[in-house]
Amino acid sequence: MTDQLGALTTIFTEFYYWITVVLMFLIHVGFCMYEVGASRYKHHQHTLMKNTMLIPLVTVTWFLFGWWIYWAFPTGPGLAPSIMNESAALITDESAFSAKWYVPNSELMAVNLGDHISGVFWAAFLLFSWTAASIVSGAVIERITTFAFGILAIAIGSVFWTIDAAWGWHFDGWMLKLLGYHDAYASGVIHACAGGFALGVLAVLGPRIGKFSSSGEPRNIGPRNPWLVTVGLFLIYTGFWGFYAACNIPIFDLGPEYGMEGVTYWTATNIYVTPTTLSGITMNFLMSLSGGLLAGYVIGKGDPFWTYSSGLAGIICASAGNDLYHPIQSMIIGMIGVVIAYKMHYWVERKFKIDDAVGAVAVHGYAGFAGLVICGFVLNGYPSSGYSVGAMWDGTTYAAINPLGMFIGALVMFVVLGFIPGWIIAKVLHGMGKLRIPREVELAGLDYEIMEAAKEDEKAVASSSS
Amino acid sequence: MAVTNWVDHLSAKEVAGAVYPGVGTEGVLVLIAFVIWIGWHVISAKQESDKLSKLAKRRPGSNAWKNNVTDG
Repeated sequence: MTDQLGALTTIFTEFYYWITVVLMFLIHVGFCMYEVGASRYKHHQHTLMKNTMLIPLVTVTWFLFGWWIYWAFPTGPGLAPSIMNESAALITDESAFSAKWYVPNSELMAVNLGDHISGVFWAAFLLFSWTAASIVSGAVIERITTFAFGILAIAIGSVFWTIDAAWGWHFDGWMLKLLGYHDAYASGVIHACAGGFALGVLAVLGPRIGKFSSSGEPRNIGPRNPWLVTVGLFLIYTGFWGFYAACNIPIFDLGPEYGMEGVTYWTATNIYVTPTTLSGITMNFLMSLSGGLLAGYVIGKGDPFWTYSSGLAGIICASAGNDLYHPIQSMIIGMIGVVIAYKMHYWVERKFKIDDAVGAVAVHGYAGFAGLVICGFVLNGYPSSGYSVGAMWDGTTYAAINPLGMFIGALVMFVVLGFIPGWIIAKVLHGMGKLRIPREVELAGLDYEIMEAAKEDEKAVASSSS
Repeated sequence: MAVTNWVDHLSAKEVAGAVYPGVGTEGVLVLIAFVIWIGWHVISAKQESDKLSKLAKRRPGSNAWKNNVTDG
């Protein structure tokens, strides 16, 4: 950095993303509180530990290969050529946005005076990875082994969500070009994908003991500490705000970027390099949260668990197009997402005997899927990318946003990169006898021995006379 | 190469960006990270498996945990 303006812009951008990372850490704190609040007393510590250990596992694997996947896979490979080098192969050449720079032994993956941005950008994406894995974590509480969850967390956090981000959340992604896919704040790339993955795992893992009666009727195993659930969800809302900011480029001159001769146009943009404003997305975030809460309160008949979860589902459903929606559209879309998520949750539970302990598949998977489809209708015809204005490799442009493309995109997220990999990996782990804890342990409680040891310690202290 | 003098380092004709100790040994560090990562899974999986088997053999009842509740 040799000139003051360049230095200020660089440091501002570095600091901007750094703040979003800190805010997004609250998402994980919230998920931990939420899961402990939703689990039963005898499983608390294991539940917390399981979700905590995804942090180092996903972080280390994100460093080793997750980040590289994001930069290498936008072309598929083989599905659409890159606009940078016109090749449909993995992007590993010398171009500026190549995966070549993000192999773990790259000098840029460290303290490097020539690069002030890569690390915070890496961390922002990593926090999304934790969220993806944490979504799965809630659904499978009280019966999965920590080993199996660790493998599944790495799979969704450092592999499958990363592939979907490369495909549909990268300016060069093939889904933008061929499908007109648009998912500004990740209805699909995080939520539908992780929700679908969780559903695939649950189909193999099976329900908690006692969840269904012998006649197949579902029983409610409600949250044991609704207040912890409440505070957890408030923290997730807060962190989600940081996530919204992290999905933007805070300051960018679109004139030269779009090839507009002599035009200077500084603005914030979304991840597709199309213009938006922090002002607008702030209104949309809050209005979709409000729509979700309003709908959740009514459809859940005042049930606090569903009301708070619905606030999240409302944001998730509107997120695909919250860079452009009117706030009232965001609110209505949030409400629609909640109704779909709630109805689907109970239908799937009864029909397929799926025990989604915290409603994660509903709140993230179904609401996210619905949000993508709705976005296809509401933003029909809008450019899916800032590069829609320029010619592609064959003279065509990126496909515009459209209902069919968004529906196919939703299937790619939920089914192809979510449900199918989750189901297959869970099947393999099940085949190895490593997926589920023994029945006796599930009944006794995963924390049985820890609690027993604590009781002995307590006895020793209580009987001490000195 | 380690940095021993920032003035010399930053006033060089071409400033080297990488300033961490052991520049050039990144490949070895990555290899070590892989070993730690996989090794962690192997060790923790065995620990968990042993713990679960031991508790399963004891077969505590589904309400036995209540006897272990401490009030702090």
